[in-house]
Amino acid sequence: MPDHFVTSEPDEAVKLALERIRETTAAGRGSDMEGLEFNEVVVNMGPQHPSTHGVLRLVVTLDGELVKDVIPVIGYLHRCKEKLAEKRTYYQYIPIVDRTEYLASMNCEWGYVMTVEKLMGIRPTRRAEFIRVIVGELMRIASHQVAVGTFVADLSPLGTAMVFYMFRDRELILDLLEEVSGARMMFNYLRFGGVRYDLPAGWVEKCRQLMKRMPKLIDEYESLVDDNAIFLQRTQGKGIITQQDIVDYGITGPNARASGVPLDLRRTRPYSVYPELDFEVCTATHGDVFDRYRVRMDEMRESVKIVEQCLDMLPRGPVQLGSLRAPYVITPPPGSCYVGQENPRGEYGTYIVSDGSRYPYRLKFRDPCFCNLQLFPKLLSGNKIADAVAISGSIDLVLGGIDR
Amino acid sequence: MTLEIGTVTLGIDKIAEQLSGAFAGELDDVRVQEPDTVVARLERTKLKDVARRLKELPELAYETLNWIAGVDLGSQLESVYHVYSWHTNTYLELHVAVPRAKAELDTVTDVWPAADWHERESWDMVGIRYLGHPDLRRILLKDDFVGHPLRKDYVDLAENHPHA
Amino acid sequence: MDWDLVIDIGRLVVCVVVAYLVVFVAALANIVFERRALAFMQDRHGPNRVGPHGVLQSVADAFKMMGKEDFRPAFADPVVFTLAPVMVMIGAVAVQLTMPYTKGFTPAALNVGLIYIVAVTSFTTMAILLGGWASRNKYSLVGALRSAAQMISYEIPMILALLGVAMAVGSWNLNTVVAAQADYEWLAFYMPFTFLIYVIAAIAELNRGPFDLPESESELVSGYGTEYSGMRFGMFFLNEYAGMTIMSMVAVTLFLGGWHGPLEDLIVVGGVAIVPFVWFMVKTYLLVFALVWVRLSLPRLQVDQLMAFAWKILIPLGLLNIAATAAVILWVPRWKWGLLIVGWVSFMVFVGLFDPILKWRLRRQRERQPVVTS
Repeated sequence: MPDHFVTSEPDEAVKLALERIRETTAAGRGSDMEGLEFNEVVVNMGPQHPSTHGVLRLVVTLDGELVKDVIPVIGYLHRCKEKLAEKRTYYQYIPIVDRTEYLASMNCEWGYVMTVEKLMGIRPTRRAEFIRVIVGELMRIASHQVAVGTFVADLSPLGTAMVFYMFRDRELILDLLEEVSGARMMFNYLRFGGVRYDLPAGWVEKCRQLMKRMPKLIDEYESLVDDNAIFLQRTQGKGIITQQDIVDYGITGPNARASGVPLDLRRTRPYSVYPELDFEVCTATHGDVFDRYRVRMDEMRESVKIVEQCLDMLPRGPVQLGSLRAPYVITPPPGSCYVGQENPRGEYGTYIVSDGSRYPYRLKFRDPCFCNLQLFPKLLSGNKIADAVAISGSIDLVLGGIDR
Repeated sequence: MTLEIGTVTLGIDKIAEQLSGAFAGELDDVRVQEPDTVVARLERTKLKDVARRLKELPELAYETLNWIAGVDLGSQLESVYHVYSWHTNTYLELHVAVPRAKAELDTVTDVWPAADWHERESWDMVGIRYLGHPDLRRILLKDDFVGHPLRKDYVDLAENHPHA
Repeated sequence: MDWDLVIDIGRLVVCVVVAYLVVFVAALANIVFERRALAFMQDRHGPNRVGPHGVLQSVADAFKMMGKEDFRPAFADPVVFTLAPVMVMIGAVAVQLTMPYTKGFTPAALNVGLIYIVAVTSFTTMAILLGGWASRNKYSLVGALRSAAQMISYEIPMILALLGVAMAVGSWNLNTVVAAQADYEWLAFYMPFTFLIYVIAAIAELNRGPFDLPESESELVSGYGTEYSGMRFGMFFLNEYAGMTIMSMVAVTLFLGGWHGPLEDLIVVGGVAIVPFVWFMVKTYLLVFALVWVRLSLPRLQVDQLMAFAWKILIPLGLLNIAATAAVILWVPRWKWGLLIVGWVSFMVFVGLFDPILKWRLRRQRERQPVVTS
């Protein structure tokens, strides 16, 4: 190839990819043409790219149209959250936790707040528990709408229609959440021992009405795509996550459930008031792209059921523990603790080491997308580029959580 | 073979007992953190061996690595491993202490493949070098970053801000 | 000085210039139309700022494209690189000139109109191939080859459909075809299956709708237009929309009765009737809307699905259709009724059975897919 194709110095990841090509060539593996130079090209699906959701960089080794190897490069959205934790009080840190998995903010706050509550040995009020479940499940529906919408949008212009319908309905959910917490995306709503505000007047009614409409809206989304033979051909049998992968890489969430593993932390490690609620763990059997889509759609319906039950069971009472009103500085006793909760993308939790002061000593996030992304090289290799785009969309990545 | 969760119902205390018994002398300070975590300390030289045997335990097979955290405890560094057992649906948290002067540990990527990126992050942030890791380079920070930010003695160096 | 020759040449030049202008304007109008129609179906507004209701949006876009830096990659073939975008519109313009727009006005009435259409639309294929080759980029070339393969594969069903029309009408002349559809005897009613085959083949020819993988592949690896920027790319882009109009016009002429409609002789200016022109344009734009609608509603076909569909389904069915049409016309005394019956039966069978068979095959494939363990 002429020299003027190389415009910049290859960096670590690209060097690694080139190195691997050289290794394969040297070993003559993968083909019966020993010693010949392979016609593989290293292509950068750079951080700005319409198909990688977020600032993810994939250094792809292509042989024609076949993906031979993928090296994901992350860190473009690294905001030093774990270091920030060391200089913020526990309360000051809640808005920062919001911004890790920003599409599922309520659930992220919940993961953090549960850990701190466990360190302090307090339990939230009962009404607050139910409110947390309601907003958490509403957030799950909204998050899946984005996830499925953008995934289908990758496949075709049809998807852009579906995305718009889903976003239109997501606005209804975000309106509800705005009434409760004052914000549409970074809520800063959960507190240690409860939630910040009680539900405004009339909110329960509005929520109930929306939940009555929601199954019909979900039917509308499914009718656009489910029955479409082209969609089925493009998604069935592709990107299979085996159960061995789940065990090896710690895959959790809908990605694991689509492969037949009933791993749902709301059931296997119950927290909050989930033991009292009646819902199913949605699984599927084949573990391919279509099943992950299917599981997310089913989960949206289950979330609707959960929200309706909670609205019925909502008790009266305070939404915050009296002992924890202002000035909002807490000092958990020294120790360490980890609590994971079921984020729409998998198991999300925080590991907090406390030294008794008002700042956390060490705070580490366990992010589901970080673990899911490790599977990419194995999952995408051997597929065509168009399939690779579909598969990566179905894994549902949010770079905010991966990079923190 | 479908993966099943929680087929073995031992209490968490019995699990802690079994672990103390099976790894007497290697796992120190085995205690139970409600509701389903066993916390234990492990010496760095024994990490690889214990890891492999933990995975191959008959009932309590700790097959999945959840996360690895690097912690700077001031006097020493620590690598925390959080592993999960499908059969008993419980977790095990291993704390492995590492001296500051020689912050090296064996890698566990051959036991739990998930450790790949977690160890890279630990190296990137806290500076614990994992010997035998297939590709130990920085993951979240840029490749030529100097220093390990999550250490308590980290000072922001000018080399890291060439364009300021 | 042979003034007649000069006048003839002058007239020729004027016609060609006017034809190009018409094609450009139609393409620009199509772009805005498509964006507003897509937006309407996606529950949003679309461009509505530039000009009344946004109709001048493409004009603004054209100015933007013309203002971009015009560069040619150093290693690209200089002549062909410039020639390819210029060539790409030839097909559209040439076909535009032969369309019967209204009663008494066909810019260039050819006796072999149908064959001419098919022959000249291959210019686009050639221009794309040249464009991909001139870029001196391996992936552009592959993209261009793939696009060309798709276009030539789908030309065959198109020709088969046109053959059916020629047989039913008995002539290649477009004016005869339109005249044969007077009194609402539209060929779409008589030969619906042929119409369907033509529409599907036309959409694939245009690289549009569910068949647009060659151009969307520029997500990662280039399609034929990667190395082109500014107005050079604009020509490729416009050609797609110009083609939409052309294909719709051809379909309207052949199957939907051309310029026929009520109140034909209402306003006649110098031998040219005005009202039929309106009908022609209304029918054309209804079809264009249908093309946009189809684009929105279907996911993209993969390359192997595309080619399989052309060669394994459309061409055999097209051949069978021709055979049936020919048999009916030859041997059935009241062949119009025969065509009607054969046409609708085949249409219903195809539409009714295609999806269920495909789904059944997919379901069987799914059942054979092993449950994932390790």
